[in-house]
Amino acid sequence: MASLRELQQSFAAALRDPAVACAVFPPANLDVYRNNGRVAFRESLERKFPVLRRRVGEDYFRQLCLFYRERFPSRSGDLHFFGRDFPAFLDEQHAGGDYAWLGDLARLEWLRVECAVAIELPALDVDALASHSGESLEHLVFGLQPSLRLHASPFPVFSVWLNNQVDNAPPTDQSRADEYGMVHSRHDTVYVRPLAPPVFSFLSALAGGRTLGDAMTRAALDEAALTRSLRFLFSEGLVSSLAL
Amino acid sequence: MTHLDPRGVAPGPIPARAGIGLRSVHHEALLADRPAVAFIEAHTENYFHEGGAAARALERARANYPLSLHGVGLGLGSAEGIDREHLARVRRAVVRFEPALVSEHACWGHAGGEWFNDLLPLPYTEEAAQHLARQVAEAQDFIGRQLLIENVSAYVAFEHSRLTEWEFLGEVVARSGCALLLDVNNVYVNAHNLGVDPAAYFAGLPAGSVREIHLAGHARNGALLIDDHGSRVCDEVWQLYRRALARFGPQPTLIEWDSNIPSLATLVGESQRADVILGERHGLAA
Repeated sequence: MASLRELQQSFAAALRDPAVACAVFPPANLDVYRNNGRVAFRESLERKFPVLRRRVGEDYFRQLCLFYRERFPSRSGDLHFFGRDFPAFLDEQHAGGDYAWLGDLARLEWLRVECAVAIELPALDVDALASHSGESLEHLVFGLQPSLRLHASPFPVFSVWLNNQVDNAPPTDQSRADEYGMVHSRHDTVYVRPLAPPVFSFLSALAGGRTLGDAMTRAALDEAALTRSLRFLFSEGLVSSLAL
Repeated sequence: MTHLDPRGVAPGPIPARAGIGLRSVHHEALLADRPAVAFIEAHTENYFHEGGAAARALERARANYPLSLHGVGLGLGSAEGIDREHLARVRRAVVRFEPALVSEHACWGHAGGEWFNDLLPLPYTEEAAQHLARQVAEAQDFIGRQLLIENVSAYVAFEHSRLTEWEFLGEVVARSGCALLLDVNNVYVNAHNLGVDPAAYFAGLPAGSVREIHLAGHARNGALLIDDHGSRVCDEVWQLYRRALARFGPQPTLIEWDSNIPSLATLVGESQRADVILGERHGLAA
């Protein structure tokens, strides 16, 4: 008599390929499980990649979902993780072609998925800087919100994402240069924001644990730009701690 | 809709009354309206993460209602073992939200390193019963709580099965010390799809083992009934529910509604229907 492991392996093989025999009755009803899987995985990707779905259209998105699951089967009983490799899969599918930007759009959308479940720490007000003297300011290390994700793309994916918050948006000009930006959550809302390259460099340096002085130098910010960037950081609630 | 006393209720054991499945579309309405349901049940996997709106909403709801955490992803009957990482997340959720009940399913979910994210049916053999019981016991030890194991709806049966479904579940209860979550709709669906006899099913389950009951709607697809949790509980399932209460006594009863989700008021209305029937069993005026 077949072991439990063998029975489950043959059941799994029959789910993947209807031509494979499996000792169940009635075998035709395995279609219910096949369909359940198709729908559950597709709906999971639909929730996570809404703009990608808008851009490629319903039919192609469904095809992508099927191929993706074959190439990157689920590795967890928690569907939250399904889709983590969707950007890499799209890169494979469209490398070097006119749609090479799809992978990076998916990467941006996955950052939103991560952000949506990240912890939100109490945000500091800009006044917190006042307790540090002028000299010690440059040595400050900023603790940023755990939800903050920074993304640099060779494609204008931030524009694509922001332009496609409505159905039937016109295509974004893909000849535009690379884009930089961030994704973060505040009060349970996830925000996608493009950033000017110097601000992106500044934030990246701070997020990497560099001191304020070092980050300012790396981003080549003058004092006026630094003041604007700091105001932005604090007004967006991105700073959760300051340390020397 | 009847509303809770604004002072709220202390979290605690779940009474033998009706509750509702908590879905994200109802988070806001539940917190604002605070309908008078006996408990809420949440899918454990939806609350694995420390941050985010869902976790915060559950924390707030938890302050007003007793909670049941219902897992859908462990696949405890999987021959290839338990996903320890997933189990650790379940334990963290149990520590964080302090549910009165913790449940999972009598199913398997992964093979060959691939997860199907579905409640797949087990062959009803001695080996499978022993394996499921061993992994249920392991999970209970790790989480530090007794698990309620739910019978699943099925669309196929294994030719290798040698036990009835109720003998299989009874074996798992005896070996692991778990209790059962009896899904009456699943019994009805299996009766229709696979010829299971509900009377024999109820008579065959260990009498004291059922600690919670699930009710849900199903869909018809040709000759098959599909357990889609997408509609009201049908009259036949309400009848079967009365028979289950006669056999197992009044139990906390949950209305599950996971697709085509209605307004919170409609969902609460279904739970009130269960409360009326539970009231009949308690000998109370409905």
